[in-house]
Amino acid sequence: MKKLSLKSALLGAVFTTATLFSLAAQAETPPNVLVVAQSIDDAVSFDPAEGFELTTVQSFNSLYQRLVQPGREDATKIEPALAASWEPGSDGKSLTLTLAYAKFASGNPVRPEDVIFSFTRAVKLNKTPAFILNELGWTDKTVDSAITKVDDTHVKLTWTADVGPAFALAILTAPIASIVDEKTVAEHVANDDFGNGWLKSNSAGSGVFKIATYTPHEALVLEANTNAKEQPKLESVIIRNVPDAGARRLLIEQGDADIARGLGADQIDALKQKSGVKVLAVPSARSDYLLINSKANETLGNPAFWEAARYLVDYDGIANNLLRGQSQVHQAFLPAGFPGAVTDNPFKLDVEKAKTILADAGIKTPVTVQFPVFNDQPYLSIAQSLQSTFAQAGINLEIQPGVASDIYTKAREGKYEFTLRYWLPDYFDAHSNASAFAVNKDNSANTVARQAGWVIPEITTETLAAVKEQDATKRAVLYKALQEKLQKSSPYVFILQGSDQVVLSDKVKNYAQGLNADQVYYDRVEK
Amino acid sequence: MPIRSITTGWKSNLGQAIPSQPDDQNSRQPRGWRDLPYLWTLVRWLWSFAITLLGLSIITFAMTRLSPIDPALQLVGDHASQSTYAQARETLGLDEPLPVQFVNYLRTALSGNLGQSISTGQPVARDIARTFPATLELATVAIVLGSVFGLSLGIIGAMRPGSVLDGVVRLVSLVGYSVPIFWLGLLMLLLFYAKLHWAPGPGRLDVVFQYTVPSVTGFALVDTWLSGKVGAFRSALSHLALPALVLAFYAMAGISRLTRASILAELGQEYVLTARAKGAGLVRVVFKHVLPNVTGTLLTVIALSYASLLEGAVLTETVFAWPGIGRYLTTAMFAGDMPAILGGTLVVGACFVALNAFTDFAVNRLESAQR
Repeated sequence: MKKLSLKSALLGAVFTTATLFSLAAQAETPPNVLVVAQSIDDAVSFDPAEGFELTTVQSFNSLYQRLVQPGREDATKIEPALAASWEPGSDGKSLTLTLAYAKFASGNPVRPEDVIFSFTRAVKLNKTPAFILNELGWTDKTVDSAITKVDDTHVKLTWTADVGPAFALAILTAPIASIVDEKTVAEHVANDDFGNGWLKSNSAGSGVFKIATYTPHEALVLEANTNAKEQPKLESVIIRNVPDAGARRLLIEQGDADIARGLGADQIDALKQKSGVKVLAVPSARSDYLLINSKANETLGNPAFWEAARYLVDYDGIANNLLRGQSQVHQAFLPAGFPGAVTDNPFKLDVEKAKTILADAGIKTPVTVQFPVFNDQPYLSIAQSLQSTFAQAGINLEIQPGVASDIYTKAREGKYEFTLRYWLPDYFDAHSNASAFAVNKDNSANTVARQAGWVIPEITTETLAAVKEQDATKRAVLYKALQEKLQKSSPYVFILQGSDQVVLSDKVKNYAQGLNADQVYYDRVEK
Repeated sequence: MPIRSITTGWKSNLGQAIPSQPDDQNSRQPRGWRDLPYLWTLVRWLWSFAITLLGLSIITFAMTRLSPIDPALQLVGDHASQSTYAQARETLGLDEPLPVQFVNYLRTALSGNLGQSISTGQPVARDIARTFPATLELATVAIVLGSVFGLSLGIIGAMRPGSVLDGVVRLVSLVGYSVPIFWLGLLMLLLFYAKLHWAPGPGRLDVVFQYTVPSVTGFALVDTWLSGKVGAFRSALSHLALPALVLAFYAMAGISRLTRASILAELGQEYVLTARAKGAGLVRVVFKHVLPNVTGTLLTVIALSYASLLEGAVLTETVFAWPGIGRYLTTAMFAGDMPAILGGTLVVGACFVALNAFTDFAVNRLESAQR
């Protein structure tokens, strides 16, 4: 009897297992749905006044429209979006914009009131990306009077910051300048939160898609906005959270995903050999750089150390052997593709030259430097390469892996010596990077220069002059000069510019992605 | 001597006193709440439950605060202005002294509000209600499969110690113990999903069903069954197979080893020798006399394995894109998401305590029945 029970149990378990397997259905992605496999664990808020994570920023182009937008083919050209046209004021500190007729996903028409509400709430909520609108001098006290309705189709923006209309338009291309549907959001306001709680996981925009469902750490499902002026080619986009890169690779290989993001160099190499998928390499505006705390000690504050460091990086080895197409060597603070970007790469690994520079400056070696690094790839691999090449010149880098916020905290408080960081522009304008690396008059603002302990009143003045310049050609020349100045002497070593490698199924057509993180376009995708 | 008395005799040898039975009706009348054994047990259990959760909260809170992660900076990022950063610190209550932060948390938690997650922007209670059923479903199927296979292999190994079959059982157990679970998961995906096409890919449902079946209970099998869509139910079942088997293999390793060791230890006891001398076959002795004596131990092992699956399936959940509480807690830890960490830890801790109590109860009942 008992023997039979044991047999039954075993047979039952085997049968159950076999049954579970036999039920497997090989499902290809539905023809009218785009399935994207990526990690969406970073997503915190889909409210454009708050969202600043890669996943949310990548979705804003689909969900919302801004008054103006960077060109899809040429991001340096600003194109109309919700504003059909605009007219700079004679004072150089205002813009009057004419709204095109458009509807939100709710069916409500886009009105000047929506523009006023969107900018006002973004400034008053004071969430992460608010500093972008603060660049215009808009604060919670001034924003109410800065944006006014002229008539039913015109809205006027004024600002107090010493910048011109061209820069103001660049600011308006940032995701935080997305226009939200005031009437819809008003129905979901709780505790004077401007609808922030509701918009974290819902949308109220005029983009080609709207959020159908969002389940944190699981999926973001977008469905076509039937009220959009231009209809998307596909009915919906499902952005699935697949946290493991190996699993993402399998999904795209098997046809269970149409697009896969965030794969490692090895996985990309393997997929390049496979039929049915193609690898799309899109230049990204991400810059990887070394940050040296010039206040940490006398050695690190010596410009000769900064100069020697530039010759102790194996740029080509890192780009070609470690990252294999995921980044290119780039040695200036403006990424290639931005107006005025310096694309010459004057530095190469030259240990002897670095030793000479150190010796001439009287810097005694060996010297040990603490090196906190993001506990993530590819940063750990890059750090190991740096450790190896710096050691050849007698500089011993002690790698200290840590979480991002810990390294940010150390940098903000100046409690570090040397670190490896990345930077992504917040809006499509050279000032986004210049204001970080080339502004620190008196340690009053949290710029990268301040974190490096590098007080630069003269360079700050030059940077602020560049942002005021209205002539685009002259402005590009000013930024070129600034980059060359920082290349010669600054506590930064710019190493790489990123390249996003996206894997697409052969069925996917017309997918487009731009230089900036938010420039992800699903609207014209066909299968 | 009937075999039954041999078992009882062994129990007595352990020095477990058999409670004397009251012999008159009056003694059965409760004279106070301490005379109601079940009520007294419940009160003791509730007290232990509360103390455990409080201790767990204090330790988790302290550990999270001792970590170098700044939740405010993790939330707003490095580009945010100083005023945004200061506002985030104030909103998260980080500008208060640590004891005040903890008391504030306890106060709101006792009112049923576990707070809002920093990393998802959603109420923690809602996040847990979404993620915990996913893990519970996976862990339950895994422990059932793991127990059936583990017990069977353990018994087989113990009945033929030193044989080839026993060697195979021990090897399988060793592999289950030694192989990293994420590696095993990826390997199984590669084999059964990518090469053989027997199993579907990562996720809980096929894409066509995943966002069309309403979530009622959070259990994919139940929700798809309730939806009436046969295809969706089949999809849920097939998606469950691989991750459940990976976890089951892990659980099976521990259960089979312990089953084998416990039975082997019992087989050397005098009552077994007596039974065998009286002509009882090995199968009869193992199933009729040995297994009842090791059931308590096995129950405890199974319960511990189940508890560890409930909180320790992080890597499996990551590989199989399974949105469970393990992954939720891990993501929260990297984000310094205090409300989510505390809420999740309390739920997992409560499960541990409840499972522990249930196991104690079940073992006591079994022993009482044997006596």
